[in-house]
Amino acid sequence: MVVLMRGVHASLLLAGAAALTASVVSFARGAQTDAPRQVVEITAERFTFTPSEVKTKAGTVLDIRLRSDDTAHGFHIVGTDVDLELPKRGKGVATVTFTPKAGRYTFECSQLCGAGHEFMRGVIVASE
Amino acid sequence: MLPSSTVENYLKAIYQGASALTPPQRLLPMGHLASALGVVPGTATTMVKALAESGLVEYEPYSGVALTPAGHKLAALVLRRHRLVELFLVRVMGYAWDEVHDEAEQLEHVVSDRLIDRMDEMLGRPEVDPHGDPIPNADGQVKPQESQTLMTCPIGAPVRVTRVVDQDSAFLRFVDRHHLKPGAAIQVEERDASADSVRVRGEGDRLITIGTRAASKLLVQVTRAALLLLLAALPALAQDAKKAPALRTNLSGYMDFHYNKPEFADGSLDFHRFVLLVTHSFSDRIRFVSEVEIEHALVEGGEEKGELELEQAYVDFLFSRGFNVRAGMVLMPVGIINERHEPPVYYGVERPFVDTVIVPTTWFETGVGVHGEIGRGWRYRGFVTAPLNAAEFSADEGVREGVQHGSEANTGRVATTGRLEYVGVRGLTLGVSGWSGRSGFEFRPRFDVPVKLAEGDARYARNRFEGRLQFAQVWIDNADLLNDALIRRVGVNPNIGRVLRGFYTEGGYRFIEGARFGDVGAFGRYENFDTQHRMAPGGIRLPQFDRDAWVFGATYWPDADIAIKADYSVVRNRSTVIRAPNAFNLGLGWWF
Repeated sequence: MVVLMRGVHASLLLAGAAALTASVVSFARGAQTDAPRQVVEITAERFTFTPSEVKTKAGTVLDIRLRSDDTAHGFHIVGTDVDLELPKRGKGVATVTFTPKAGRYTFECSQLCGAGHEFMRGVIVASE
Repeated sequence: MLPSSTVENYLKAIYQGASALTPPQRLLPMGHLASALGVVPGTATTMVKALAESGLVEYEPYSGVALTPAGHKLAALVLRRHRLVELFLVRVMGYAWDEVHDEAEQLEHVVSDRLIDRMDEMLGRPEVDPHGDPIPNADGQVKPQESQTLMTCPIGAPVRVTRVVDQDSAFLRFVDRHHLKPGAAIQVEERDASADSVRVRGEGDRLITIGTRAASKLLVQVTRAALLLLLAALPALAQDAKKAPALRTNLSGYMDFHYNKPEFADGSLDFHRFVLLVTHSFSDRIRFVSEVEIEHALVEGGEEKGELELEQAYVDFLFSRGFNVRAGMVLMPVGIINERHEPPVYYGVERPFVDTVIVPTTWFETGVGVHGEIGRGWRYRGFVTAPLNAAEFSADEGVREGVQHGSEANTGRVATTGRLEYVGVRGLTLGVSGWSGRSGFEFRPRFDVPVKLAEGDARYARNRFEGRLQFAQVWIDNADLLNDALIRRVGVNPNIGRVLRGFYTEGGYRFIEGARFGDVGAFGRYENFDTQHRMAPGGIRLPQFDRDAWVFGATYWPDADIAIKADYSVVRNRSTVIRAPNAFNLGLGWWF
């Protein structure tokens, strides 16, 4: 009989929590790739993206992490296929990577979120 | 008693190895298992024999190993933990998808079933992890997936990437770099056996050439658009379906159901607002937005019942983030509530008094104007609209009844309105608004009743706290001439004030947040408002219109878009004769 047991005790739960905490710390490390990367955290709330202006260098891989402070929103970069839904408040983070060429990219909420939905816009400015 | 991490890793490896077998082959060769686990065959055999003794696997010497039903379920639950942890790390904790496998390898053995179930619920019972791998349910069952690889899917057919079967972080970064993550819409252009390559057309018409080994690790499904193409031979329709996100019609809305119990009077149930929003995008640059509202549920001609209102119906011409043109029925850009009035976003069953009798929300009017955002959070809006009708002003409700609502609105003298707003700091909105127009067009002989409104507001909402502050003042010039004209019309002096003023401050705090059953918050608001703050010569200032209100209450959000509210408002005025009633209110409001 195999006697290889997994005890589920408070110590293991704590170990799990500690591992999760360690993971939070490692979040800052980011993924290493050849292209430069930039983490961009954007919060959406009726009827604002904060920040609504993101500056970067052309060719930088933007790790865009989006969180909503209220209802579900959308994140669409006009002229591209980037279009994703942000979960509601407390339901998690939506992530997408985007590598801009030099130029200005307008982004906007693509999920109707209220009377001021059309004001919800921002811009990514990628310089040479 | 639960199995160790070693046992779980063996069961998982057998599960995954067996899934790649081609029927009728049922047993996973021991060499494959040892290779997958990175151990020598002798070690694997010793362990498998022990697992067979415990009833978790069937072992046939010189043939291989297979999971028993008990072993199959245990393996599926390990994968469930692994994949949910991966998804949690990506979605909630912001990890990149190529960072999570190693973390999940550790955590899959230590997280409890209870924690996993909470993660599953929080993530909305997902069916796949960030790599597209199916997540078994709590019984260890997996929803069957029908996929092909990039080596077997039809050439030229639009497909969507559903799964990446290699979790190696370098390979995942390769997939990411080439925009081939699950969800990516692509099609295979060519397979070149001699060059050992596959050419793929990716999103944005990007051409990518990858090796056949990489192509065999990417699973895809033929998209609905492609099926339409194949079945109905309607390429144009398929193209439209691909563009659907930009060219769509949306239906949305909000509702507000109230119970109001004023002091010294019977309570009433009121379906206060039923609002439907219909929007349509003609293109990325031209949008139509409408908002139709039924107030108080019932509309009957000529009776003092509800209202059917067209609150918004405009076309936006979106030239750039900084400059856009809007025309049609538009909301006046004044104050906090007028443009931000979905029930779950504000505390209190009823809107603030200041946003009722000083700023006449919901204030909408026909007009044309511009709006945009400049720099890091500076916004402007400016409109030319039909003016207020001073003949409908009153001492009690100020300019509220003077809104023409775009109904054959007189535009003999147009009004202008504008707002400047700063939203550059997360959670903070600072705004100033103004409105100016001549409103005496209905009187003969005609005389001017210039009306001006100035307003300033601040709102800060961060984490659990939300605070609001708003001040608004209205000036009605020639109020004495207006009162005289109305005396001639109705026979009594309406005593319309020359200056109307109001302000409120509010604080709210979510003392329960993120609980399984939702959020709970409490708030308090103080308001001071006077529709006769200053009188014109000849007017009589009535003390009952100089009012204070304290409103206290709570809101329960079972979902971010549903608010169940309760509050009690204490209203006091300066009159010793006429008393303003306190009120208890209950409300159910939602947005969808």
